[in-house]
This record gives sequence, structure tokens and C-alpha cells, in this order.
Amino acid sequence: MGATLDNTADVDTPELVRFRYRVAGPVRRALAYLVDLAIRAASLALLYVVVALASGGGKRFSSGVMLIAAFVFEWGYYVYFETAGDGRSPGKRALALRVVKEGGFPIGFIDSVLRNLLRGADFLPVGYVLGVLTMAGDARFRRIGDRVAGTLVVIEARAGLASPLVLSPPVTADEVAGFPPRPPLSLSERETLELFLRRTELTAARREELAETIAPALAERMGVKVQDPVRFLALVHHRATSGAPVQRS
Amino acid sequence: MRTQDGFVAARRTDWEELQGLLDRGKALCRLPPISIARAAALYRAVCGDLVHAQSAGYSREVIAWLDDLAARAHNALYSAPPYRVGAIWDLIARDFPRALRRHARFFLLGVALFVLPGLLGFVGAFHSRAFALQILSPETVAQMEKAYAAGFGQGRSGDLNAAMAGFYVYNNIGIAFRCFATGALFGIGSLFFLIYNGLVTGAVAGLVTVGGHGRNLFTFTCTHGAFELTAIVIAATAGMVMGYALVDTKGRTRFGSLRACSRDVALLVLGAALMLLVAAAIEGFWSPSAAPDRIKWGASVAAYLAVATYLTRAGRARPKPEASRP
Repeated sequence: MGATLDNTADVDTPELVRFRYRVAGPVRRALAYLVDLAIRAASLALLYVVVALASGGGKRFSSGVMLIAAFVFEWGYYVYFETAGDGRSPGKRALALRVVKEGGFPIGFIDSVLRNLLRGADFLPVGYVLGVLTMAGDARFRRIGDRVAGTLVVIEARAGLASPLVLSPPVTADEVAGFPPRPPLSLSERETLELFLRRTELTAARREELAETIAPALAERMGVKVQDPVRFLALVHHRATSGAPVQRS
Repeated sequence: MRTQDGFVAARRTDWEELQGLLDRGKALCRLPPISIARAAALYRAVCGDLVHAQSAGYSREVIAWLDDLAARAHNALYSAPPYRVGAIWDLIARDFPRALRRHARFFLLGVALFVLPGLLGFVGAFHSRAFALQILSPETVAQMEKAYAAGFGQGRSGDLNAAMAGFYVYNNIGIAFRCFATGALFGIGSLFFLIYNGLVTGAVAGLVTVGGHGRNLFTFTCTHGAFELTAIVIAATAGMVMGYALVDTKGRTRFGSLRACSRDVALLVLGAALMLLVAAAIEGFWSPSAAPDRIKWGASVAAYLAVATYLTRAGRARPKPEASRP
């Protein structure tokens, strides 16, 4: 079950509800970093052209402006976007990441300053090696900056809500004649069935093959006979979900 | 009890309404009050739905969807306080000097770790060129001797001033930030940068002095040094506070201890950065000016006094008024 996976973080709210974040791992965060890096480099290059044209070849003045711009982009870019963009720099937005405080709160200015200035420590000795090592030692993938600021980088799932499973053709009374009113299925078995039934991209032969591995055992448990294993599993799932829900033990 | 599909069908409109409110792209606090109240009500309903879905054993997919919706709504409703421009003033007038005084011992330690290697570097380089070459690269030596040989009797052109001010911002504040950040490694980075910068600064000063151009160097650096050197030490102080929090955890976990001091640390670094901006402006435009030496020395004394007064006095509580309120 989800609780044993180590890439989630639970948050308890004042409403006494616990919800779960998916924590972002190093690869996804590195990709977001590269996107941000490209954006920063492109902006600086563009600015360089603009300043060079505007100053009409005043080389020294434009180099002063460029150095200040380089400073602002190096240290201020993330702080600005994370505080103004609610925890998302453009790169994080592109990869559906968000920085949140532990506890699920939005991050503030101070938090963002800390986690981004400490890139100076995470970057050591080269290319964020220390940051990645620190992330590897933490169940929630926090680099040094995250740990000092008390922040997490989470994935915003944004999964769509799939439509309900519909049996076609509709179930007939004959088909489920011998079925018990509530099929004896554990929760994980029922989820397995649901995942199987939603995988419509499999070929018919493969579906058949997969269904045959589990259908006989289920049928034996329920004391009925199997004709078409795929249809049988669909019927069992339908019976299990259209009755009263299973209680989690 | 309802089936999962019945539950989803019945609640779906509410969920999508809440999602619509969150997807407006605007901060929730900018919406009309009725929408905020509605969002709060919907959020509580979603929390209820999430608990129900978990306990009824609905599919993972429904739970994940509700998790995500609840998390986003929670994030929006319990939002951080809005940003105010006045916070910068609070930082300057109160929070930064107070934070520094709370960690005065580390600051004094930092001063010692900068000044003593500085003196060592100065005396060593003054007496032995070989000593200076142990610390500085030959290119640096040549560059420094050239830079201060001419002096600033004629001042410096305006556009070169602008270029140098940009360089000071980029280079010096960058150094200060790294000096701070590497303090997260049990303070080692901050200590290293302090001692190293002290030695280098001292050696350059010794070398230039022995070359006979000490006056040029000191009249150039004396004013902005009040801000720049102090700010570098303050950045290192922030790093040392972090490093010490990792060692003396006061019964917390190591990172819990670090987090407990994180606000002070951030205030110190922000304050140091502001001081370095002031220093860069002075160093870019005032220090290389053709003003007579006496005026530059006077400005230097004034700057050191101002920095010291500011750091020790700003943000102290005023004496309480006599009349107590009922």
C-alpha cells in the first residue's frame, strides 16, 4: 500500500485530515534546474544584446550593468519566482513541481532566501554533488537548503478523475447466478482487478492470458465455474464495487 | 453506504467547483469574500470526502485525486502572510541588528578570525616577498602593484566607476553568500573563508605598502571597508551560527537544531547583503574619487562610527513610558 512507499510525505491539517504529497526526486528536480538554467542564460544573453545596443558601445558601462544583472539572476531568480509564483520557478512549473513548507504551507520570503542561498553549500564540490548525497540520505529528498528552510519539493499530481468502469454488455442475472453477495476479495485484490480492467491497451490475447493466472483461484474461492476469465474478473469486480464498500481493516 | 462510483458522481460537482476556484491563477485573498468563504467550505467538505474515501477503501486513484485537491486547497487557504514593502524597513531598523546582537559572540570570534590572519599576512608580506608569494599568485601580485601604483589623484571616469560597482556587487556579495552557505558544513567553510580572506587582504596590503603605495591603497579602501569587511564577517557569523547549531543541538535533531536558528541566520545574511550594496556604491563612486586624503580619512572614521552605532544601538527597546495604561 501507499503508506509503505518512501516517496510520499504525510501532512496533518488542523481539520484532523491527513493528506499525502508525492515528493520529487533528484532527476525530476535536476531537469527543472536545467530548464531554469536555460531560461536564465537566454535572458542574460538577450539583455546583453539590448544593453550593448542601448549604450552605443559604452563597453565599461554595459559591463557594469551586465555584472549586476548576472548577480540578480544568480541569486535572485529563484527567490523572486518562488515567493511571487507560490513556490514555483518556471522550471518547476514546467515539471509540475512546487516548493512547500513542511506541513503543506506555502513558502515565505525568508524560507526561499535560505533554501536558495544554501545552493552554495549544496553545489559543493561541483555540480550539486553534496546536495544529491544529502537528498539520498533523506526519505523526503531534502537537500541542505531544504532542511535548513524546512521546505519540501513536491509533485503536483493533477491526475484526472477517470470515468467509472462500465461493464459492457451489461451484467445479466444468469452470469452471476452462483456469486456470493459480496465476493471474498481483499482490498489489494480488488485494486489489482481494477488496474487490470482499466488497462484496455492490452491485446485481447494478453488480457486472456493474464486473467487466466488469477481467475481459477478466485472462482475456486467463490465456489463457481469460469467460462470467460476476462469477463469473469469484470463480473467479480462489478459485484465487489456495486455492493457495500469493503471495510479497511 | 455508497458505492465508489455513486460517491464520485454525487460529490464531483463540488470538487470541480473547488478546483475552478483554485485554478483562477489569482491568490485566493484577491477573490471576493463570498468565493473565499465558499472555498473554505468546499475545502472542509473535501477533507471529509478524503477521510471517507480512505476508510471506505475506495480505489487509489480517487484517493490520490482528493489528496491533490485537498493539498492545493490547504496551500491556498493557509497562505503565507502577504509581502509588504515595510518588511525591508523592519529588517534594517530592527530585526537585523537585533539578530546580530543575539549572536554577538560569534561576530566577535569572526572579527578575530579575520583581523589576526590579516595582521599576520600584512606583517609577513611586509617583511618577505616570498611569504606573500606563498599566499598570492604572481599574477595577483603584479595586478595589485599596478592597480595602486598610480593612485586616484585624478579620480576615475564615470563609466569605469559604473563597471566597477557592478563588479563589486557581483563578486563581493557572491563571496559573502558562499562564505555563509558553506557554514552549513559544521561551520568549516565560513571559518576557512574568513581566515583565507583575512590572509589575502593582509598580504596585499603588506605588499603594496612595502612597494611604497600604501597611501593609495588605504585611502581607497578605508571608507567602504567599514561596510564591506563588517558585512563579510557578518555573513561568516551566519555561517558559524549554522555550524554551531549542528554541533550543539540542545536536545534537538541536528537539522531540527539548524532549523531553530534559521530565521536569525536569514536576517543576518540579508542584512549583510544590504551592507554590501552600500559598500559597492561607495567603492564604485566615492573611494576612487579625487577627494583629498584628509576628507577620505574623515569619511572613514564617520563610516566606522556609523556602522558600530547602528549595529549596537538600532532596534533597542525604548524606555517604557511612565504612565501605565489601565
